[in-house]
Amino acid sequence: METSAAVPKPVKGTRKKMTRMEKHNLRVGMLFISPWLIGFLIFNLYPMIASLIYSFTDFQGILVSQQVWYANYAAMLRDDRFWFAVKNTLFMVIIAVPLNLLFSLICAILLNLKVKGQSFYRVIFFLPSIVPAIAATMLWIWILKPDNGLLSTVLGWFGVQSPNWFLDPLWSKPALILMGIWGIGGTIIIYLSGLQDVSQTLLESAELDGANWWNRLRNITIPMVSPITLFNLITGVIFMFQYFSQAYVFARFASVGKADLIVGRPMDSTLFYSVFLYDKFTGFRYGYASAMAWVLFIVILLCTIALLKASDRFTYYAG
Amino acid sequence: MKKLFPLFSILIIAATLLAACGGGAAPAAAEKPEKMTVWIQWGDNPAQLQELFNKFGEANGIKVEVTAPLEADKIQTALNSSNPPDVLILSGGDDVKSYASKGFISPLNDVIKSANIDLTDFYAAPLQACVQNGDYLCLPWGNDIYALFWNKDMFKAAGLDPEKPPQTLDELVAMSKALTKIDAEGNITQAGFIPDFSWGHIDLYGQRFNGFWYNQDGTELTVNSDAMVNAFKWEQQFYCDGITPEQMLNLVATGGDYMAAEQLFYAGKTAFQVDGEWQVGPNFIPAIVPGLNYGITAFPVDSNNADKAGSGMVQGTVALVPAKAANKEWSGKLLAWMMSPEIVAEEFSYNANLPTSKKAAEDPRFAEMKGFDNFINIMANPATTFVITSPIQTELITEMTLVEEKVLRECADPKPLLDEVQVKFAPLLAESLKK
Repeated sequence: METSAAVPKPVKGTRKKMTRMEKHNLRVGMLFISPWLIGFLIFNLYPMIASLIYSFTDFQGILVSQQVWYANYAAMLRDDRFWFAVKNTLFMVIIAVPLNLLFSLICAILLNLKVKGQSFYRVIFFLPSIVPAIAATMLWIWILKPDNGLLSTVLGWFGVQSPNWFLDPLWSKPALILMGIWGIGGTIIIYLSGLQDVSQTLLESAELDGANWWNRLRNITIPMVSPITLFNLITGVIFMFQYFSQAYVFARFASVGKADLIVGRPMDSTLFYSVFLYDKFTGFRYGYASAMAWVLFIVILLCTIALLKASDRFTYYAG
Repeated sequence: MKKLFPLFSILIIAATLLAACGGGAAPAAAEKPEKMTVWIQWGDNPAQLQELFNKFGEANGIKVEVTAPLEADKIQTALNSSNPPDVLILSGGDDVKSYASKGFISPLNDVIKSANIDLTDFYAAPLQACVQNGDYLCLPWGNDIYALFWNKDMFKAAGLDPEKPPQTLDELVAMSKALTKIDAEGNITQAGFIPDFSWGHIDLYGQRFNGFWYNQDGTELTVNSDAMVNAFKWEQQFYCDGITPEQMLNLVATGGDYMAAEQLFYAGKTAFQVDGEWQVGPNFIPAIVPGLNYGITAFPVDSNNADKAGSGMVQGTVALVPAKAANKEWSGKLLAWMMSPEIVAEEFSYNANLPTSKKAAEDPRFAEMKGFDNFINIMANPATTFVITSPIQTELITEMTLVEEKVLRECADPKPLLDEVQVKFAPLLAESLKK
């Protein structure tokens, strides 16, 4: 039966008039949404557009600025410290993100075992993730202190000398990765929820068919939690591209006893992209900093799109 | 009525002209403002500063409002606005020339003249830092100078005369070696001198080799000059000659915060430290390590530049009047009051910073701080210079600090590193000076 004939075709140039009730509802709706809308326009959209405009100027915090077109972007490419910051950031994205995912999955699998006191263990593993980043970094600084820190003391019992985490550029990033792994509680919880959705029927069938623990993990559990892995991977990559607080506090401590603060200490080994952007911002190079922010935005966007595209190959959506 | 209109017009114009002529012959005194504003960038203790400026307010029947401390971006915005503070006090003179080139501040020559500010009462080096092409862009208000502190007990233990600190850079190297202790496992347990601790002092070391990273007026970059290369090579000996940077850094890592008893010099882990006059003030050595047996002397000199003996490099707070200040005459009066010896003595004896007024330096409150006279003598030395600055100062210092870290921690050759900095920053300086 054809029903389309019953629907009157809209006549070009005419619009159905809103009833009084619809108008009233629209007004009320706009009124309710306006706090968010105004906030979005003032605090999100305006700064974004302004920063895009600033990125093409030599704006230094005062009202006189000149259009420099692509000069900030070109200066960025010529700046050694910019490339140092890019290298350090990519190191964290490539090394720290997979490590965090690996440890999160291992911990989640362990916390999914049916053992006595399981809830208690889950709380213990989750707790570090609610400690503020600055407080957690300060805590780790005390743990890693080479002369009398907790870790160096424990290593000392076994005759191992603690590395100079704060002053040796080789060890500064591993120290930050270590701190990051301590705070993976949030990722563990997300993995845990995914693990609880893995079909028990499938696992039991595989066991009956003679699949051992490793085969069940490799062929059932990991594919079944692959959407979770994708989510954690994307959020982890975004976090690492914007890595700041821990590195900033760490550099403060890497200036042991020094009264002057240079970000990125020791020897620019903790100069990450956002830290360098902040350094430029506080140095009144607002044009340059805005250009950096837009490059970061585009890189994150492209990475996210690339990960989503590539995810077809490793992500399995049941059903 | 129509006939009278031209007559009225002529009378009004004549009256206006007469009034204008009268004003030219003897300028009328500016009206006393009800309120004045003072912005201070560094103010660690805003209440104390407000109390100090209240004295000017009470004496003149004006409300003086002090805002401190301030972020630098607020200062730039205010200077460009139509309502800047009446007097602005900056932590250092780094941005003064840049502000002047943008027209944010006007020279103080007229203000100095009309307010009878006695320029002969200022120490020469800090005052020179404010001068550009014969114009006074600012006036110094309190200063800092670095000197060499040495631990007399450690000298005695090493068999050195505790009353004879090093006079030359070579002597400092030799004494430092004599004071360094290494245990059986190769750990440095006590160092002589650590050149980049607790502040970077590349400027001072460069000056000792008769150079700096700019030419005299800050218009040309000279970071790869022989003087600067020699200064870095001299520093390198303390990390790379007879010991390894790793050994030194392992010792440095054991130090506590700058104001903690575990700080390396306070804790007796290093025999020398280059630091400022505030160390002898009530908040530092007397409070943190009252038992420390130490001496203070001007930083040693290169034997080829002995004329610099007893001198130092001065830097510090400056006061200025924004170009758009509402009432320049009263800004000048406030500035003159600030620069008076009594006020300078009161403010800087409280903060244990160097007074820029010679008369203020005679105030007994400075003499009460043991060792403070050493710093005053260094400031008064005719060879003492000010730190030359430019609009690219902040970024250049960061870059130079990175070069210093590579030279000290990787024992790298400073020459190619400084050449790179020269190539990178010379165009930036030229560009920034054009703006």
